[in-house]
Amino acid sequence: MKTRKLLDKLVAYLDGDARKRKKEKDEIKAVLKKLKRREKKLKNLLEETKDDDKRTALQKEIDIVHAQRKKGVRLLKE
Amino acid sequence: MLRRILLPTIFLILAYGFWISPDFKTIAAGVAIFLFGMLALEEGFKAFTGGLLERLLRKTTDKLWKSLAFGVVSTTLMQSSSLVSVITISFLSAGLLGLAAGIGIIFGANLGTTTGAWLVAGFGLKVNIAAYAMPMLVFGVILVFQKSKALKGIGYILAGMGFLFLGIAYMKDGFDAFKETLDLSQFALPGLIGLLVYTLVGIAATVIMQSSHATLVITITALAAGQVTYENALALAIGSNVGTTITAILGALSANVEGKRLAGAHLIFNVITGTIAIVLIKPFAASVDVISAAIGIAADDYTLKLAVFHTLFNLTGIVVMLPLIGRLVALLERSLKARAKHISEPRYLTESAEAFPDTAVEAVRNETLHIYENSRDIIAAGLYLHPADLTSEAALNERIAASVHGSPTDIQEAYETRVKPLYNAVVEFISRTASGWEQQQMADLHWLRNANRHLVEAIKGTKHLQKNLSIYVRGDNAHIRDEYNRLRLQIASVLLLLEQLRNGEDADVAILALDGIRARLERGDEAYTDRLYAMIREHRITPQMGTSLMNDTGYAHDIQRDLMGMAETLFAGPERELAPAQRKLQLDEDEMADALGERAASNDPGPPPGQADGA
Repeated sequence: MKTRKLLDKLVAYLDGDARKRKKEKDEIKAVLKKLKRREKKLKNLLEETKDDDKRTALQKEIDIVHAQRKKGVRLLKE
Repeated sequence: MLRRILLPTIFLILAYGFWISPDFKTIAAGVAIFLFGMLALEEGFKAFTGGLLERLLRKTTDKLWKSLAFGVVSTTLMQSSSLVSVITISFLSAGLLGLAAGIGIIFGANLGTTTGAWLVAGFGLKVNIAAYAMPMLVFGVILVFQKSKALKGIGYILAGMGFLFLGIAYMKDGFDAFKETLDLSQFALPGLIGLLVYTLVGIAATVIMQSSHATLVITITALAAGQVTYENALALAIGSNVGTTITAILGALSANVEGKRLAGAHLIFNVITGTIAIVLIKPFAASVDVISAAIGIAADDYTLKLAVFHTLFNLTGIVVMLPLIGRLVALLERSLKARAKHISEPRYLTESAEAFPDTAVEAVRNETLHIYENSRDIIAAGLYLHPADLTSEAALNERIAASVHGSPTDIQEAYETRVKPLYNAVVEFISRTASGWEQQQMADLHWLRNANRHLVEAIKGTKHLQKNLSIYVRGDNAHIRDEYNRLRLQIASVLLLLEQLRNGEDADVAILALDGIRARLERGDEAYTDRLYAMIREHRITPQMGTSLMNDTGYAHDIQRDLMGMAETLFAGPERELAPAQRKLQLDEDEMADALGERAASNDPGPPPGQADGA
């Protein structure tokens, strides 16, 4: 059974497509981390901003970053 | 002329040597196999330059000690200071490294290369090295035939090491047998004459073989067989150190001035280190005896003592030269002056940047940034703005509000002189270098080509826009002037945002941050159409002005879209390997509408601070 598992692991490693998919997922995860940080930063900025036009623009940016994050999570699940 | 004579002469001497002595044949074959091993090793390491080296260099060269350590470690691993110096020159030319960092790497490489002497003297001569070589060769060659680039690279490295070991074994056997027929040690020269002559021999041998490693290995094997004296072997080691700079100098011939400065630093370092070693040969030899005794090397183990000497004098060179790096950089910058480059001359597309796909892509990226900077200035000038106006919102608003004077910039001429020659150079560079590259690098180039095209289109758009803009922003009709100023502001704001994005914290997710700017752009001036028709209806502007404005609004949109398209590639940030993932997460039109629509339907921007519930 152990040998079988090892063999499976080896096959998975040698399988170029599987490795490529894992790399793509890892990259998306890295981007999601950065987006989370960016959303937090924009939210903090929104709290500090008083000008209405700027607040509207910031809120739009936050919405966009949030949608991008949602899209990323969806892609990870696929 | 010299070159034409040199090669046949070497061939004749070698042929004569082979004819009179089969042992010489063995030694020469050993050297040839060793050098072939180094070639294979270089080939193997080149397989791993697809992004890895670039990342490593960026992370490991921000401080001098890191550059030094990078030089030591990479040369120890690759066993070729020449390869490390050529890579460094190439990266410097492409703008990936600063001169001081480059010099740090070269200093480190000098120390790293001394590990070769330790390996050969401590391991190569003590065990049956050929026994290790055989399996390495077999496994290596099998891997070389694999499809995967990584496996192929490992294959070349294994085969390279196998050939290195085999070469050393042949040299060792050759010298052992040679000893019985011809005693080379009879040519030993004592004293200062011997020191100088053998230093020159070391330089010559290294220049011919283009490898200090090979000279050192021959020296060590000859020393082990008693064919050279310990004293002369020390001189050969000094000579090999000086001679190795020739590879860097050859590599720098095709590099830009930065590369030439680095080769200059390499030469100065090695000549000074060599001179110190020659002048202080006696204290050095005495120190080697003390150190050897302290670390348990037998007094008659001359090969290991040679390794100690090699390390000691290179280390001394580093200790002496390290505090002088700043002065060395200043001296090189003074003596090797960068020819004042015309604004239309490519800065990064040098021959040495072609050496590795990474450096070639980086060179194209940097040159495209150069084109962007020139294009940005042309577009700004077309809008009657200075580059300084694009530093802050306040400066920009102030300039737009001020009245416009002066004749319009000749955009076509500016394009012909400041952008087109660079664009041509980029296209030519790409067509010359891009064959047989990895998919990732080809993709990078594809996007960079697009970025260039977007820039050219943006300039074209500005040229069209300028025709009416230059009339109306200087005209008497305040209404149409305001509208054209609005267009100026829109385009200039995108330029400003892009500048902020390029230099700001969000550069690592630039592609996605651009989505926000794009949304603002697409949904920007929603009241524009109503305003336009009202102005015509109320005779504030003529219908002719109205149609001009409609066309020019289209041009302004195209310019902004092209600038965004360019930025997606060019400002992809320091972590460019994440660019494909970012592109996957970009929102399309529907997703963007959903994202913004949901928000508008559910609530307003929220209460101002103070009334906020902290959510």
